[in-house]
Amino acid sequence: MSQNNDPFESLNASPPAPRNAARTKALAAARAAFESEQEKSFVQTKGKNAGGRLTSIFTSLKRISIMDMRLPIGTAAIVLLVLPLGWQLYSSTALTPGDLAIQQQPAPAELESVTVNTADGLSGVAGQQAETSLVLAEPAAPMIMDAAPPPSPSVANRMVAPAPLGAAMSKSMTYAPVGQSVAPSGDTFSSVDEQRLKAVTEEPVSTFSLDVDTASYAYTRRMLEDGFLPERDAVRIEELINYFPYDYPAAESAEIPFQPSVSVYPTPWNAKTQILQIGIKGFEPVLADTKSNLVFLIDTSGSMDAPDKLPLLKRAFGLLLDQLSANDTVSIVTYAGSAGIALEPTSADNKAQIMAAIDQLYAGGGTAGAEGIELAYRLAEQAKIADGTNRVILATDGDFNVGIDDPDKLKDFISDKRGSGISLSVLGFGRGNLDDATMQALAQNGNGNASYISSFAEAKKVLVEEIGGTLHTIAKDVKVQVEFNPAQVAEYRLIGYETRALNREDFNNDAVDAGDVGAGTTVTALYEITPVGAGQIEPLRYGGAVSSDGSEEIAFLKMRYKLPDSDVSQLIEVPVKPELVYGEIADAGVDAQFAAAVAAFGQKVKSSVYGGAITWDEIKTLARAGRGVDEGGYRAEFVRLVDMAAMLKPDAK
Amino acid sequence: MHAQIMGLTAAPPPNTVSLTEALVVRARNGDPDAFAELIEDQYDAIYRTAWRWCGNRHDAEDIAQEVCVKVGGAIARFDGRSAFSSWIYRITLNAVRDWQRAGKRRGRHVDAYAEVTPSDQQPEQEEAATNSQLWDAVRTLPEKQRDAVLLVYAEELSHAEAAEIMGIKEATVSFHVHEARKTLRVLL
Repeated sequence: MSQNNDPFESLNASPPAPRNAARTKALAAARAAFESEQEKSFVQTKGKNAGGRLTSIFTSLKRISIMDMRLPIGTAAIVLLVLPLGWQLYSSTALTPGDLAIQQQPAPAELESVTVNTADGLSGVAGQQAETSLVLAEPAAPMIMDAAPPPSPSVANRMVAPAPLGAAMSKSMTYAPVGQSVAPSGDTFSSVDEQRLKAVTEEPVSTFSLDVDTASYAYTRRMLEDGFLPERDAVRIEELINYFPYDYPAAESAEIPFQPSVSVYPTPWNAKTQILQIGIKGFEPVLADTKSNLVFLIDTSGSMDAPDKLPLLKRAFGLLLDQLSANDTVSIVTYAGSAGIALEPTSADNKAQIMAAIDQLYAGGGTAGAEGIELAYRLAEQAKIADGTNRVILATDGDFNVGIDDPDKLKDFISDKRGSGISLSVLGFGRGNLDDATMQALAQNGNGNASYISSFAEAKKVLVEEIGGTLHTIAKDVKVQVEFNPAQVAEYRLIGYETRALNREDFNNDAVDAGDVGAGTTVTALYEITPVGAGQIEPLRYGGAVSSDGSEEIAFLKMRYKLPDSDVSQLIEVPVKPELVYGEIADAGVDAQFAAAVAAFGQKVKSSVYGGAITWDEIKTLARAGRGVDEGGYRAEFVRLVDMAAMLKPDAK
Repeated sequence: MHAQIMGLTAAPPPNTVSLTEALVVRARNGDPDAFAELIEDQYDAIYRTAWRWCGNRHDAEDIAQEVCVKVGGAIARFDGRSAFSSWIYRITLNAVRDWQRAGKRRGRHVDAYAEVTPSDQQPEQEEAATNSQLWDAVRTLPEKQRDAVLLVYAEELSHAEAAEIMGIKEATVSFHVHEARKTLRVLL
């Protein structure tokens, strides 16, 4: 490195002092100039005293350039564009509970007329009521009841006995909300519809991409610990489940990097259904043999200046550094606030130098974006290693002004770079500014994972215990396809994985990107399946007979993956045979019990339309039973979290 | 030296800054005593900068005086959008540039005078002799590269501060420094 004998270092020698005479002369001249300027400013302007010369208002407007008017003009534009659009969306979408509740509750004047009128009028109102409920999709109905405010006493008094209305109202009373507080956070989440129940006869094949992110659990935990219920869209059940390590049999070699293990056991929240659990554990190479080239792209905007952001990042970085060796190179690029290279590619055994560089980081200033991301990739390119991990790690609290403003362009840029062998992972910090959807999207496009670092303990989990999974990919584009046997299974529902759904034809298309599995990570997917005969969906009248050639298999599991340096996918096929079915959840092992508990927890926190029947106590018992060895103490922590959620959102009595 | 190399902003000691700020506000409101104190504080820094850019005492003193006069005339219009020190730097750098352009027009005899006359330049030349070659090389660089190198290494500012003074992006400062290094590798 050129820093050691930099010729410029000697430039800061101090020059000879000025002569006193020159100094005095200059100061006197300055004072004179200052005073003459002051006198000048006291000279009255000519013309009318009140406002100077009369000029056209246009000339004064001309001086105001568009750049000085950004805020007012921008606000006006947003108001003009967004408000009507928002109102339009709000009033035209079916799922606006508050709006419907208003429609449902007739005006008091109308009610009075109902009570004095004949039965004819009554049935008119009842008809109206039926009409509104027809608009609603069937499973959404209880949610609407949720939001209907209890009738005010004066209205109730005036209603003598309008039977249909009264019934509806009393029903809404039982569902009355129980003082839930959803967090007033500034974090943004993209809204996704929950996976729906599907009939096997109509859609026998389910396809999705594996997801190894854990950000949602860390975020949910943080919100609950602070006494808030997280937003529904912040809770992604698959990330909750995948946060925990499970004891699946590990793969023997890097060639076949994982083996799926499958089991079927009864659903804890529904006696009629079963859970099909698919689990894999990635191959774990010896960490010392791996080589990695890591470029940290660190947000140093003013908003990072909070104890749980940049300072936490610095401490977390120290943990990571201890895991690296002379095989690895580290570089640091900052963006927003102070942009530029904070550390040129440096061998990771140069710990003092790297720590000195990270200690210098300081959050402040505006978010003057710079070419942060391009610089980071250029450094990664520069220090690229042939047979190892080349990865850019973006650490931010949600400011993604890394130099490319358009999110889609940014995604394209990242996926282009993925093609050249440099991947991207995202570490999220702090709260209030977090842009969850962008974090997810960037990591997905960059073949990396998104983790949310809420505390030092979490940093330890992501950067020490799961360092292999965070840094080293053992299989990429892992897709799962399950075909259910209509003779055995009537209905199925994938729990979570909403953001990871794939089309059926994508499974065999190697060009379609999917999730990646890091070294030693475990990934779990759960299906809730309903055996034939117990389904909720009415069978089709003209559906015809189901033929399965007499097979007793429940389903057929196919997985596709690519080895890290290959573009051709490999296929793993496993039939789900009746031998894998357990009669009791306890027989299926601790991991099954725990995964089911986490899924139930997620559904309840999310106010899902499924799984609302189980109580918090039952979830807790199940999680306790599934605690197992629990080396990191994560499962015990989850049990505490269930308590927290139970207090914030008590079970309906 | 890490802070400078890596382009990170180190917070300046707060008390002198707030003192300067208070003086600036008073001077803008027309207080001549505050201005006198302010410019006295700043004079040495202005002179030092001027010396570094032009390399001899005479020119530096003249430039410093010009800057002082300019500051006196313009302080009422200083809007506080940038740091006061950056503002001073910008005025100084502009003055240096004007001076050197005018010098080119005036021809060579001014330089010739400067070379023969003063005997009091002796000690300073000795002091500077150790790296005078480097100084000469730096001063022959293109204007932007010279400004970037001197702001970052001689004035020991961060890349961000240098960027603010030069009115360019931070990454561009890094680029200029990099280019300067390449050019100098040939010259030295």
